[in-house]
Amino acid sequence: MWRYALRRIAFLPVIIFVVSVITFVLLRVLPDQDPAVLMAGQNATPQQVQAIHELLGLDKPIVVQYIDWMSDVWRGDLGETYFGRRDIGAEVLRRFPASAELVLLSLIVSVIVGVSFGVLSAVMRNSSLDYIVRLSAVFGQSIPDFFLLILLIIIPSIIWNYAAPIGGYVAPWDDPLRNIRIYVPPSLILGIGGAAGIMRLQRTTMLEVLGSDYVRTARAKGLGAWNVIIGHAMRNTLAPLVTVIGTSFTVIFAGSVIAERVMSIDGLGVFFLDSAIQRDFPVVQFLVLYTATVVIVVNLIVDLSYAIIDPRVKYR
Amino acid sequence: MANEAQAIAGAVPAGDGWAMPPETPRRVALARLARRNPVGVIALLFVVAFCALGLAQVVSQDIFGTVLAPYDPRDIQAQDQFQGPSWEHPFGTNQRGNDMFSRVLAGARISFLIGLMGVTIGFIPGALLGIASGYYQRWLDYVIQRSAEAWSAFPLIFLYLALITAFGRGLQTIAIVIIISSVFGGSRVLRAAALVMKQNDFVEASRAVGASEVRILFHHIVPNVMPIIIVGASSVFAISVLTESALSFLGIGVDPGTPSWGIDLFEGLNNARFFPYLVIFPGIAISLVVLGFNMLGDTLRDVLDPRLRGQLG
Repeated sequence: MWRYALRRIAFLPVIIFVVSVITFVLLRVLPDQDPAVLMAGQNATPQQVQAIHELLGLDKPIVVQYIDWMSDVWRGDLGETYFGRRDIGAEVLRRFPASAELVLLSLIVSVIVGVSFGVLSAVMRNSSLDYIVRLSAVFGQSIPDFFLLILLIIIPSIIWNYAAPIGGYVAPWDDPLRNIRIYVPPSLILGIGGAAGIMRLQRTTMLEVLGSDYVRTARAKGLGAWNVIIGHAMRNTLAPLVTVIGTSFTVIFAGSVIAERVMSIDGLGVFFLDSAIQRDFPVVQFLVLYTATVVIVVNLIVDLSYAIIDPRVKYR
Repeated sequence: MANEAQAIAGAVPAGDGWAMPPETPRRVALARLARRNPVGVIALLFVVAFCALGLAQVVSQDIFGTVLAPYDPRDIQAQDQFQGPSWEHPFGTNQRGNDMFSRVLAGARISFLIGLMGVTIGFIPGALLGIASGYYQRWLDYVIQRSAEAWSAFPLIFLYLALITAFGRGLQTIAIVIIISSVFGGSRVLRAAALVMKQNDFVEASRAVGASEVRILFHHIVPNVMPIIIVGASSVFAISVLTESALSFLGIGVDPGTPSWGIDLFEGLNNARFFPYLVIFPGIAISLVVLGFNMLGDTLRDVLDPRLRGQLG
């Protein structure tokens, strides 16, 4: 197990290196437009464009550019945005807490809602609750989260004339109420969207486990229904559950871009979005690297957690 | 096919002992199915209606150059802006005085095209890859399944944002992303199905009478996994529609001039507080189309292949 974990962790930099090379090449070779021309404007003279090239180091060979960029990133210098010349590192640090809180809260909501309703739905199979839960899962997967988020803004504003506060990030320990007002409503929407998958899988695996012999034995020896469900059945649904939580994380992580835009949260998702629209290459370059790293690390954690959940899993 | 049929027919003694039980007439069987799945019937009607509307809009907008709607969805009528729903404008008018009902009708075009594109250019070739991967196994299986895992792990929106940076926005960029996302949509499930299917005796039998591998694949494996392909196509259509509207809503989808439900939502957002109908109707349109395809897929899965019930969630 430890050797497997170590090997997987040692392999991380290799994957990240490959991702960074692909992104770098994609953003240098494919563009139909020279970023320097975008910056200088339509009426720029070739001399002005040339000057910008030299300033940004775009006149050097691509390998040299890559090495320069990587060594800067390694030293913690992410460079400046093309538009506005802001320090990318500072911008990322300022925006990170808001995005992280949104994603984490949503993930917590999706696990709580998904697991509890999945189990209830399996235990009370074919009841009206089961039917309602399954129907809402289909609705949850069909109604776009941006539409739900828009409704979340306009309904309270029409009925109670209420608007969530906007502005910079406030940590929950500094101003809990303000923090809750900003982050809890979008987390509920994103989380419930991510819960649909968890719920469906939890219901299926739970039904399978509930039909197994050892659950019947546990019932037969006189254990209470919930004791059997929580203590015996739940444990054996954990491995597929962890996999689907990993998938839900990806869904929520992607959805956070939309949620940040609709709820005017000044996070990394909006930064990525705006930079892509402006075609701010250095920002996009770094944020692709960042998102890829997050996704890869989460998948690694999911893979490693199988061994903790189920000791029978052997890694080689 | 003829050779195999003769070979098999020759081996079976023809006679009265082999009479098949009388078949239920197709009309009766269908009526029974419909009675048992009222939700599926509604979903099917809705999907058919949407496809008809989408096709009609494609024909009228791309061939005849006019929109099939009571008003021109792009015509600026400043004096008519922000009118609430009325008999004249059932869904109201927006900030440019465009009739929202006409915009919703016109927007069916891009959703239909994108859904169709996801299914035909993305999903179907991908489905064949998945089947081939399960049938041939070996290196092909390895390459296809590892690529599928890599794509499904990485959130597509971030890849798309990188592509936007490289190419700028536009229909081609969306097409690339819709196709990439649909290619691996069914490959894992179909691979598993093909793996099971190739163990069957009839595969062995047709190989024994000299059928080529390609023939076995297209005449025996593909028809047998058809239910999974149809269900997958239904959900890929839904996902493609959802993706296009989400991207257009974020302002990185189709060109702003193209009528699209996502763009309507994006434009309505600023005035939604005072004129909620601006976002309600396009939002409902997207939700209903996606819901229709998802419900249809769920029903088809239950009807076409009872073995799959519960397996896919």
